[in-house]
Amino acid sequence: MEHGPQDAQSPLIYLNNAATTWPKPIEVLEEVAQCLRKPLYEPGRTTGNGSIDYPSAAREALAAFFHSGPPEHFVFTQNATDSLNLLIHGFAKKSGMPFHAITTDLEHNSVLRPLTSLEQDRTIRLTVVPFTDNTVNLAAIKEAICEETRLVVMTHGSNVLGSVQDIRPIAEYLHANGIFFIVDGAQTAGHIPLVFSDIPVGAFVFTGHKALFGIPGIGGFFISEPGAIAIIRQGGTGTDSRTFTHPFDMPMRFEAGTHNYPGIASLYAGIRFIMSTGQEAIEQKNMDLTRCFIRELRKIRGITIYNEHPDLPVVSFDIAGIDNHEAGFILARAYSVITRTGLHCAPLVHERIDGGKGCIRASFSYFNTHDECLAAAEAVGEVAESADSHIRSD
Amino acid sequence: MKEYVLDGPLTEGFLKFLENFGTVRFLEQLRKPYFSFEKELFISIKGFVGESNVEVRYNKEIQDLVGDYFHLLLYYYDQGERGISALKGQEDSTRDKMKIRLRPLPENGP
Repeated sequence: MEHGPQDAQSPLIYLNNAATTWPKPIEVLEEVAQCLRKPLYEPGRTTGNGSIDYPSAAREALAAFFHSGPPEHFVFTQNATDSLNLLIHGFAKKSGMPFHAITTDLEHNSVLRPLTSLEQDRTIRLTVVPFTDNTVNLAAIKEAICEETRLVVMTHGSNVLGSVQDIRPIAEYLHANGIFFIVDGAQTAGHIPLVFSDIPVGAFVFTGHKALFGIPGIGGFFISEPGAIAIIRQGGTGTDSRTFTHPFDMPMRFEAGTHNYPGIASLYAGIRFIMSTGQEAIEQKNMDLTRCFIRELRKIRGITIYNEHPDLPVVSFDIAGIDNHEAGFILARAYSVITRTGLHCAPLVHERIDGGKGCIRASFSYFNTHDECLAAAEAVGEVAESADSHIRSD
Repeated sequence: MKEYVLDGPLTEGFLKFLENFGTVRFLEQLRKPYFSFEKELFISIKGFVGESNVEVRYNKEIQDLVGDYFHLLLYYYDQGERGISALKGQEDSTRDKMKIRLRPLPENGP
């Protein structure tokens, strides 16, 4: 019989928060339930009935959280990948002619694949800037810029190395030189305090289900220059319904069809949770756990840590003598420690750090505990110290 | 990849049987005794002795040829020594089909 895995016998130690945070704050679960308990409400799509207008409330929460311009410049999508596709392909369509684009080898496939697709179509010529000391700085980007450069797409935080790029000088330089800058903030939104009124990014991409504590299926982007991106999705907006062309107004310009209201409600509640708990307090705990785990891993023979000093609560490592998929399987099924193994959708990073074979990644969140951190490290130690046994006949 | 739940827990005897057909790794001293089985081009199996669920991975390109291999292992295990030679015979026939499937196309071919 085909079947899913048996229920874990001991409490889960969930260390895959860089993929999706779990558990969610109780406030998030309650807000989603509240959203679904009443008819959904959004002006233009239904008459008022006392329900919360979650899209507007969440845009305002996002604008306050990121200290940005108008809330209408926050656009909802399914996730960061969806946002990046919309922005990258929208920028290429708007440009209307071949151009040069720059990215880095820290990127996730959500950046690499849309750009590669454009490169294969000969819409762009692509330069991939290599990271140094786990980051990419302005000097490296400047070196890659040429006369035809119109676009830079770059991760804010590496999902493998947990390193955060200093985007402010890059954004300032690119803005001054008329180059559109898309920042992939999938790993940093919620972790790293950002003040968009101070950082002239073209667009900043986020997802709801990671450090913003929302549920999967909600993401978005902040855009400072909507005119730089062509409209590539058209449909119902609840406004301007007489016209057959999609409205240019924000945020409808990039949003067509019915929203993911439960997702937006979860994002709204997640941001409120961070703001009421304190982003600094959350990050202090995340990084204490991360440093604790690294300290414990250092004591184990046969462990290679690929990022000894991460800026984000992400630890990537390898256990000598055992394939990382096998190690992840054992950690999950024998020790109830959930990690992520393999290439983490970032193949170029792995080419640089481990020859492309992939690694094990443990990533922490506010709801992890010190005891979990120690127990997970102990489990890794047992796997690392295991040796092949003789098989007996029954 | 498929996850199977068997009608009884896996035993070391089954691992001993698997050794006839590929590489078995057995890490007994972990919290649960882990094993893996690798048979190039055919399948890989991961699981724990004493548990009844296993993870089985197939070679995607030839899944139709090897999709039954795990079931054959279970079937012939029940037949003891006789099962070893019977399954090896079946493997030879599968390998012949693989050779045809995985043979590179001639340069000027269709």
